[in-house]
Amino acid sequence: MENLGYLFAVYTIVWAVMFGYVLILIRGQNKLRQEIQQLKDSIKEKSP
Amino acid sequence: MLSRILLALSLVLLVTSLALIFFVVPTERTMGVVQRIFYWHVPLAWNSFLAFFVVFIASVAYLWKRTKNWDILASASAEVGVVFTTLFLISGSIWAKPIWGVWWTWEPRLTTALVLWLIYIAYLLVRAYASSSERGARFAAVVGIVGFLDVPIVFLSITLWRTQHPSAVIFTGGLADPRMILTLVVSIFTFTALYALLLVQRVAFKKGEEDLRRLKRLAESE
Amino acid sequence: MTFWRKVFAITWKDVLSEFRAREIITSVLVFTILVIIIFNFAFGERVEMVAVAPGMLWVTFTFAGVLSLNRSFILEKEDGCFEGLLVSPASRDVIYTGKMLASLVFLLVIEAIALPVFAFLFNLTVLTPEITAITLLATIGFVACGTLFSALATNTKARELVLPILFLPVVVPVIIGAVNASELALSGKSWGDMTGWLGILAAFDVVFLTVAYLVFDYVIEE
Repeated sequence: MENLGYLFAVYTIVWAVMFGYVLILIRGQNKLRQEIQQLKDSIKEKSP
Repeated sequence: MLSRILLALSLVLLVTSLALIFFVVPTERTMGVVQRIFYWHVPLAWNSFLAFFVVFIASVAYLWKRTKNWDILASASAEVGVVFTTLFLISGSIWAKPIWGVWWTWEPRLTTALVLWLIYIAYLLVRAYASSSERGARFAAVVGIVGFLDVPIVFLSITLWRTQHPSAVIFTGGLADPRMILTLVVSIFTFTALYALLLVQRVAFKKGEEDLRRLKRLAESE
Repeated sequence: MTFWRKVFAITWKDVLSEFRAREIITSVLVFTILVIIIFNFAFGERVEMVAVAPGMLWVTFTFAGVLSLNRSFILEKEDGCFEGLLVSPASRDVIYTGKMLASLVFLLVIEAIALPVFAFLFNLTVLTPEITAITLLATIGFVACGTLFSALATNTKARELVLPILFLPVVVPVIIGAVNASELALSGKSWGDMTGWLGILAAFDVVFLTVAYLVFDYVIEE
């Protein structure tokens, strides 16, 4: 059962990278939502 | 809705795949426990190829129809494809270390993947460096088409090159046990679901950005 | 017939302006010889020349190709000549074929001078029909995709950088094919031994001439 470290390394790295990528996507989407909200607010201010 | 279903599906499949890999599948005789890397390594390769195939189709469709949505699909798929190829290369080299004693080997499939990875990095860079987004879309589509058509020639040349020099044996035993085949099939479905999920998310995100840009322009002009 | 007349008009224009300004051929030739000499310092007398010569030769020619292809469209862009070319009655495929042939002529001239220098410095017989055929096939491959990418790169923000990033991964099969075929040719093997490599070079040429011809439109449209 030697070489177990390599096996875990692969599965950990694949998980971590996937997780990181999804995290980046979620953060981007949140930022997008914020900007849309700002845009909506600014439109409301202009035309009360 | 679609992304909810895909999320649930990928999570269930991920857990199943991991359970199969770590608890069910028997250990391969010659390579031992490291061979289990194979069950995620192969699906990653498959799906990066699928991703680049989608880039190719979407690029052709974009140049033909000139609708923004095809371009968004192509660029989203390229990005996910690069992430998958990166993971494929990493898992391949971690596999190579205990089996052949080196981190990297110029095995035809691994080498082709490396060239592919470089081509699609260039794809993303061309888009980023273009002076306008419409130009970037056009240029990227050209690279998406040319790059994909290059793949078979690259693979052919590298295979011919490697057969002249002695190279490491990849996989002699084959998938002897039916549980091995089951695990591989489940893992392939897992990563295909994951690819679909990421693609749908990325496309929705890019469409959102596009809409926002248009709205901003509209708001400024008023 | 008028297609080829227009093509030759564009090629002739490039050759003529090169003949007057002597910008590309002179500088790239000096560069080529410098690279050959630097390789000599890197490898010295420690290694068998026949073993490293094909690699040196093709690395040198690849870089020379990048340099001269880069200039091909940047020169047009600098003086605003390209707009003139676009509004002229010549269609886009005529422009592609014309520019491609001009680059082919420049590179072949550079190689025709560099090869004897190479042979002289390293005491090798490179002036054989085999080497000539390999050089011709590989150079066609270089300019077929290089002209497309050069036109693309000049319309991006990082002009000179984009070409090598795109060009080098895509021409991997040409480099592998040319190096291996030259190795066989230099060690005195017959045509029969290198058919595989020549086949790959020819396949690359055919695929890229066709694809580049078809998609060139999308790269230069304004």
